[in-house]
Amino acid sequence: MGWITWNHGARRWGGALLAGLSVGLVGCSGSDPQAQRPLNLQQGVPVGAVLALSGNANVYGQDQRVGLQLALAHLNQAGGIGGTPLRLAIEDSGSDDPGANAAMTLQINRGMLAVIGPTLSQQAFAADPIAQRRGVPVVAPSNTATGIPQIGHFISRVSAQSSVIAPLSIAKALQLQPSIRRAAVFYAQDDAYSTAETTIFQKALSAKGLKPVTVQRTQLADNDFQSQISATLALKPDLIVLSLQAVDGGNLVRQLRELGYRGTIVVGNGMNTPNIYPICQKYCDGLLIAQAYSPELNTPANRAFVSAFAANQAGNGRGPAIPPQLTAQAYTALQVVGEALQRLNAQRPLKGLTVAEARRGLMDAILAGSYQTPLGDIRFTPDGEVVQTNFFVAQVRMNPDGRSGRFALLP
Amino acid sequence: MQDLTQLLLNGLSTGAVYALFALGYTLVFSVLGVINFAHGAVFTLGAYFTYFLIGGAAGANGLLAGLQLPFALPFWLALPLAGLGAAAVALLIERTAFAPLRQRNADPLLALITSLGAGVVLVNLIQLLVGAESYAIPTGALAGLPAAVRIGGAQVRSVQLLLLLVAAVLLTLLTLWIDGTRSGKGLRAVSEDPTTARLLGIPSDRMIQIAFGLSGFLAGIAGGLVGLSVSIAGPYFGIGYGLKGLGVLVLGGLGSVPGAVLGGLIIGLAEACVPADLSGYRDVVAYGFLFVVLLVRPQGLLGRVLPSKV
Repeated sequence: MGWITWNHGARRWGGALLAGLSVGLVGCSGSDPQAQRPLNLQQGVPVGAVLALSGNANVYGQDQRVGLQLALAHLNQAGGIGGTPLRLAIEDSGSDDPGANAAMTLQINRGMLAVIGPTLSQQAFAADPIAQRRGVPVVAPSNTATGIPQIGHFISRVSAQSSVIAPLSIAKALQLQPSIRRAAVFYAQDDAYSTAETTIFQKALSAKGLKPVTVQRTQLADNDFQSQISATLALKPDLIVLSLQAVDGGNLVRQLRELGYRGTIVVGNGMNTPNIYPICQKYCDGLLIAQAYSPELNTPANRAFVSAFAANQAGNGRGPAIPPQLTAQAYTALQVVGEALQRLNAQRPLKGLTVAEARRGLMDAILAGSYQTPLGDIRFTPDGEVVQTNFFVAQVRMNPDGRSGRFALLP
Repeated sequence: MQDLTQLLLNGLSTGAVYALFALGYTLVFSVLGVINFAHGAVFTLGAYFTYFLIGGAAGANGLLAGLQLPFALPFWLALPLAGLGAAAVALLIERTAFAPLRQRNADPLLALITSLGAGVVLVNLIQLLVGAESYAIPTGALAGLPAAVRIGGAQVRSVQLLLLLVAAVLLTLLTLWIDGTRSGKGLRAVSEDPTTARLLGIPSDRMIQIAFGLSGFLAGIAGGLVGLSVSIAGPYFGIGYGLKGLGVLVLGGLGSVPGAVLGGLIIGLAEACVPADLSGYRDVVAYGFLFVVLLVRPQGLLGRVLPSKV
């Protein structure tokens, strides 16, 4: 296994202070002196990650951490970067913007060559501009909101944007239930991912001739939806479309079903994690979701990934043995960074480069490469948007215990 | 009529949680004149205690990963036990964060900071031990009850009704205890004037501990019920309720038990009255209402104007 350091959110506030001071210093001097130093590889090739391991979005960060660990092991077993192991430092961003800013700045100040993360689109809009200003490559494993790679040259993502994926689930819902006429929409108005995705969902509904009978705005921290549900059910919808995160979305699904809604529910990428199972429990059954990853994709890269995941989970004696999308995307993000570093090192040995040179070279290598990943074959557009061809629609099937289940691929 | 019933049920069930929460603040405020900022953490603990007592297992990200008690209690037994556990923690907070300052005659306002510190320590301790992930009390915990019931044409989840019922019972018992028992009257005497109460032979310290214990018990019960209703969204999930509880406390009148109940129900109903398509702004409506009331009546709805001392 490679080298992992992981710092919990308890150090975030100290980090925020340091981050503030550092940004101030960099701003005053007009340059980043740290990045002009020769690259220090004594402890390995440094790559950072900024994941939501606490707060409302922690359920995503946990999935992602497993993916990063598996990719790190895979890359280092294959010789690392020209014989030097990759060193991964994971920093907890919490689930908010200040936490992401502090974690991103810490990782940059530590001399990381690239940063994977942050977990949420909302956090990415806050933290990615810091990396862009300081010339640090960012590979987003889970940001799907429109406009993330367009933050700047150094920002890319392996998570296909909502506009590509979201309409697939609406089409599948209408294919399975052609009689659907009345759609209701929920989204969290204080979350960038939710607001971006609901726009796409609503456009997809309009394209199918369905004007939402109601659009309910919630907030990320909401967990009691009785009033909104009462108002919605009075309008007798037969399709409900949710753009919410896992915790609030899981609660809403449960409350919808408990209050008697029996129609189709389409959920967005925020609920694309098995961590919704303990929240909506048996009521998760039947949810429709479009995905950028399927464990059933039959390629050598995915088969190897699925086996590694199963072995990892068996070793831990916990969790599902079927890898979720967020784990696969995080694995892919580190794989992309690792393979790009290998190519850069072959062309220009990292040992002779400054931190800034290595970061610039790495970004060019990331964008120039094509990759065989668990998501299928991917590459990047010049502005860092992922180009991916395999997308899927799945339906949640809960086991009789009501606590575990799977995303079953629909034909 | 059906819409009005639905609105009332929605508002009352939400308001009952706020009232239970604010009562804990009120009890401590009435005897010490300060707000116990660790109350939200005790509420959170009540939810976690309930989860583990009914046989839940710790997740993968804490020091206690995978830990599960060797027994699983039914929810109706786990809930009061969780309340007692939370009461014990509240007493511990009183001993460590409040009593030392009181014994040194420190400014009571300093206890705001020590209680805030105690709350932060508790929340981080939860995260260290059982991770930051969400936990959910199984929906089967209320086996035998339907998921929802229909009342006057309105549909309400059984767990919300249970919450309303438990809150009503606890509030009634608390009122009866305060008004009808010797120790309850002792508590009122201490809240009026601790020095005079002590001179009259009422053990002020003991009364303060009773207030903390009761406050913790109510918070623990509320936490367990909310955890059942909407899952436990990590160690920080009491913070939002803590802020809302503060608003309720101020609206009802600092230190007023009936005020806490009234304030909770009013905020709950105000939120329920927000049109569904503006529901994302219901906090603005609740706090805006609070703002307007305080402009007109700074002492809160049922609070008293305290004479200024020269």
